[in-house]
Amino acid sequence: MRSRLFIFAMLAPSFTLLALFYAYPIFKNLSMSFTDLSLLGMSRGGNWIGLDNYREILRSGDFGHILFNTLIWLTATSVAIRLLLGLVIAVLLNSTALRRLRMQTIARLGLLIPWATPPIVAVVIWRWLLDPQGAVNKALVGLGILDQPVAFFANVRTVWPAIVTIMVWNTVPLIALSLLSSLQSVPEDLYEAAELEGANQWQVFRYITLPFLMPAILVLGLMSVFWSFNNFVYVWLATGAGPGTLTNVLATEVYIKAFVDFRLGYSSAIGMVMALVMAIFGAVYLRLVARRQLEESL
Amino acid sequence: MFRSSQRVLILLAAAMTMSGAAMAQSTTITFRFNDTEAEIRGAIDEFQRQNPDIKVDLQRIGWRDARNQFLREAAVGQGPDVVHSAQVWVKEMGDAGATLALDSLLQQSPPANGLADFVAQDLAKNSAGKIFGLPWTTDTWAMVYRSDLLKEAGIATLPQTWTELRQASAEIFKKTGKAGFGFPAGSSASGAIWFLATSYWWSNGKALIVAKNDGAYDIGLTAEDIADCMKYFKSYVDAGDNPKANLAASDAHDPSILQALVTGNQAIGSMPPNTYKQVLEAYATANPGKPLPFVSGPFPKGSLTRSSNIGGRMLVINAHTKYPEAAWKFVRYMSSEEVFSKFYRTQFPAQRSLLKKVDFGPELKGFAEQLEYARSWGAYASGPIPIGTLWNLAGRGFGMVLSGQRSPEEAAKELLQEVRKLMPQKS
Repeated sequence: MRSRLFIFAMLAPSFTLLALFYAYPIFKNLSMSFTDLSLLGMSRGGNWIGLDNYREILRSGDFGHILFNTLIWLTATSVAIRLLLGLVIAVLLNSTALRRLRMQTIARLGLLIPWATPPIVAVVIWRWLLDPQGAVNKALVGLGILDQPVAFFANVRTVWPAIVTIMVWNTVPLIALSLLSSLQSVPEDLYEAAELEGANQWQVFRYITLPFLMPAILVLGLMSVFWSFNNFVYVWLATGAGPGTLTNVLATEVYIKAFVDFRLGYSSAIGMVMALVMAIFGAVYLRLVARRQLEESL
Repeated sequence: MFRSSQRVLILLAAAMTMSGAAMAQSTTITFRFNDTEAEIRGAIDEFQRQNPDIKVDLQRIGWRDARNQFLREAAVGQGPDVVHSAQVWVKEMGDAGATLALDSLLQQSPPANGLADFVAQDLAKNSAGKIFGLPWTTDTWAMVYRSDLLKEAGIATLPQTWTELRQASAEIFKKTGKAGFGFPAGSSASGAIWFLATSYWWSNGKALIVAKNDGAYDIGLTAEDIADCMKYFKSYVDAGDNPKANLAASDAHDPSILQALVTGNQAIGSMPPNTYKQVLEAYATANPGKPLPFVSGPFPKGSLTRSSNIGGRMLVINAHTKYPEAAWKFVRYMSSEEVFSKFYRTQFPAQRSLLKKVDFGPELKGFAEQLEYARSWGAYASGPIPIGTLWNLAGRGFGMVLSGQRSPEEAAKELLQEVRKLMPQKS
């Protein structure tokens, strides 16, 4: 009993902080989502309107399009590319060829540059690079790949790939370096045994390297999904959710409704929908994918 | 020993009393300004020199975040004492309880030439008639032209109508290979296409929101009116005389547009005067000693008139300021002739008496001419839908058309539906 009390006393400060910084804002946001609170009426407060905001979200003609952008482009595409590219870079950095060339340190330092670049700077750099007069267009036209320069952020076919490119460039180093540290924990004798058994390179990667990387991939995947799904800066800074509403995502919609249309109540309801989607995803992911994979690999 | 300690104590007490008195005399107010510090620093320093008992801390924020940041702060009793505000925000900030009603301060110490001397006073009053801001600067957009490119294309006179502008732009593109009328065609929530579309509608005697005789508001455009305007601006992008890259530009001061004007890759632009001054300065810096190949002109005429919105800024005082008198003293000084003649020369004053004294110069002649046709937002500002919401909806609608996602007819219909949803329901 005394030890329980001791544990409770030790945990109490952490729980208090969690309650203050997580639970309170969530409940406050939830209560705001049931009101018609306006940015212009914050001192007066909003009127209780029940589930009206949620009904409006579900009936809104744009919601499907915004959800699709958020789930498919902003999250699924960017996370898949990020993980795949991160894995390739990590394997390359761990390769004996790079070691022989004594390029490992330079390559790792080079990889840190995009990671150390703040998102706003990354967007500015890439807007400049992808400008019709920018280096990318000049190179593509010079190589004969394009006849005319393309306005990547204005063209409906290229705007999403352009945004995803910035996101991947800015964040892939974290994935690559995290996977690299996992790669370096694979026991060398496993590789030696595989070599003695005559395994080819693909078999070594598939049956030795990948199982060791799976726990890291799963955790990084989960983190990347949360981070991408809720991300605001790349879309807002690169396109302002345009052209038209083509690149509007849930996070930019929250901003537009709160700070352009002044509808804080409605905006809070979108925020709660986002939290719900991520909570469901997290639960399903942990239950169906991560737990099984982690059990298999351990 | 005792005597020397006593002396030290007496000196210490005297020093504390003196510094306490000095602190009591000195008031520090915060001024949040949304343009560059260089524009206003001289005026602030001079105010502090003339009023040694008032210290002004300058804060800076971008226009894009200025209103929301202040509203958030004011809602919890925080924020700067004096705030730089767009004219159209003042009424809603006053209604939100964020800013101080200035009526009593205006009565106690009115501005030098009285309140009637200021333009856009209607935008400073709420529905109860209380005044929440003092108009500070005023301006309007006008057209700017590269005279050398007009000459190269064989265009002798400035376009006078929207049709002539379209023809001139196409002619320049055809004969010189340079962009004609390069306008920011992006669709962000604060996109510049809103100003062009509004000017187009107003010049044709129409408006998105109109006030009715009974005091109610209505939509003043049909889907055909909106689609017609969308088609007009889309034709520039489709034909290529407004480069497709400008679909990613939303602001009049977008670097790609300014750069194109400076380097002579674009012949025609549309912008406020401070942006135009940046273009002139950039050209002069890049081409020292060369005459400026720029000329400004008024907006094209529609079926009724030429039109543009009279924009500008006001100064407002935070409702929660501890120093309303000091803040008002600062606001009055900032509106004085001394400030506009000696320090703050990038903007035009909002007082008619001072405006008459401004030397616009040959390059800015078009802006002076356009000011005669400029009008306030009127029903857009006083109506039931926040102007920012209208701006965002119109920008998105135009963006979808210009980028080819929707036909003008579809987008016009959708825009009208969205605006209609936000209008108060008729009983």
